[in-house]
Amino acid sequence: MAARSKSAEKLSPLKVATFLMRPLSLMPLAPLQPLLAAALAVMRRQHPAVFERLDELGEPLFVIDPIDLPFIFAMRPAGLRPSLLAQREIDTDQATAIIRGPLPMLIDLLEGRLDGDALFFSRELSVEGDTEAVLVLRNAVDSDEINLFEDVLAILGPLAGPLRFAAEARNAVVTGWNAAR
Amino acid sequence: MNKSLTAKKLELVCPAGTPASLRAAVDAGADTVYLGFRDETNARNFPGLNFSRRELADGVAYAHDHNAKVLVAINTFPKAGDPEAWHQAVRDAEACGADAVILADIGLLAYTVEHHPKLRRHLSVQASASNKEAIRFYAREFDVKRVVLPRVLTVEEIAALNDNIPVETEVFVFGGLCVMAEGRCSLSSYVTGQSPNMNGVCSPASHVRYEEVGDQLVSKLGEFTINSFGEDEAAGYPTLCKGRFSVEGSVSYLFEDPTSLNAITMLDALMKAGVTALKIEGRQRGRAYVTQVVSAFRQAVDAASRGEAMPDLDMSLLTEGGQDTTGAYQKTWR
Ligand code: SF4
Repeated sequence: MAARSKSAEKLSPLKVATFLMRPLSLMPLAPLQPLLAAALAVMRRQHPAVFERLDELGEPLFVIDPIDLPFIFAMRPAGLRPSLLAQREIDTDQATAIIRGPLPMLIDLLEGRLDGDALFFSRELSVEGDTEAVLVLRNAVDSDEINLFEDVLAILGPLAGPLRFAAEARNAVVTGWNAAR
Repeated sequence: MNKSLTAKKLELVCPAGTPASLRAAVDAGADTVYLGFRDETNARNFPGLNFSRRELADGVAYAHDHNAKVLVAINTFPKAGDPEAWHQAVRDAEACGADAVILADIGLLAYTVEHHPKLRRHLSVQASASNKEAIRFYAREFDVKRVVLPRVLTVEEIAALNDNIPVETEVFVFGGLCVMAEGRCSLSSYVTGQSPNMNGVCSPASHVRYEEVGDQLVSKLGEFTINSFGEDEAAGYPTLCKGRFSVEGSVSYLFEDPTSLNAITMLDALMKAGVTALKIEGRQRGRAYVTQVVSAFRQAVDAASRGEAMPDLDMSLLTEGGQDTTGAYQKTWR
């Protein structure tokens, strides 16, 4: 798909983060938890309409399984105690639904650069469990322009400026390098 | 009555299931966006999809700021004895500044004529008006300005219709393909009790299950297995009309393969047939789909209006089952 190859060409900070996350297979996940909790809190603050669409689901548990990482994300986006945890394993019987695919693709999906149905048709994305809940999640996430990088930067407060500058500089270098090839 | 004699540039009517999709459609070059409220008053009543009243008002403002129009689909058939939600939807569409409503039910058309005479009316595909007598009836009785034609007519039939009706026509050019006459298909109703006509959903997600069985992806609707896809096979929606069934020992698609309509190569013929507007299906699809398909059709419509050759635009990866068809426009029924 055009959008897919386009996004694949650009080395976004998130894709860099994917590589950086790989060593996590060797490390404990505990240090990641506060970051994930903060990321979810920021997303809820920045995109209230997205989470309002999820309310109809009660307290669903989505297991997001990036097949290229050695852990899964257990996400309870709605209800009284929303949470996002990285876990090595989970009892999938507890899950409302399981969504499986490579992490960069899942991020592109979250940010609206890829179409979920197209990925499903091409079998790159797999879904198990409550199809209706997955559809609500997909439609909710798609209802606003989510930019994970900007949202995560928002957590960092004064550090955001230098980090954004570094990411943009890096992108400029990568784009120039791609163009020169 | 032939409007094709003064063929104008085709109007591009694009889907929006969410506010972000509306903005994506407008930014990608939509002339018009169509959408629905978050309830069973429209034929894409999918969970988590569609617009609140506030979102519609904001969406109309965004579209109008960018010289685009907004049409509100209120195109299911009201519940017997309880049409209030549908009446409310018409009232709210007008209050939010919608440019027109897309209606199917004659009772709702009559209500709109009586109570909201200034609100422009389009006839939904769900009304399945496919001959000149039916279309003239809707034009005469309810002053509809445009009819969305069912996906069962050839280009020649559309041209003949346009010669004999006093209203604009809008035709589907891309997206999901209903192979039965719209508004009259009962397959989903038979299996799930819910239909596009009454509840706004065909094969509702609440009744759908996908299971991995060995190398196969098995799709089920209620108690029925609709399809089983091999490891390297593109998947499709679990709609009965595109199911693969075993009949007398042989397995095949009985009505239609998993496929999507794509009439991008036929824009010139449709323009010559007197069509006013082209509709892209897919309010239930993501905004990535909206951006890609609308951008492609924007280029194609602009090229067609200049009499230029069609640009090479590959959208095969967005189609159901990875396949597309020109559907009934070039009819080759089995
Ligand atoms: S079963 Fe097929 S033809 Fe019938 S409403 Fe659904 S998609 Fe359309």
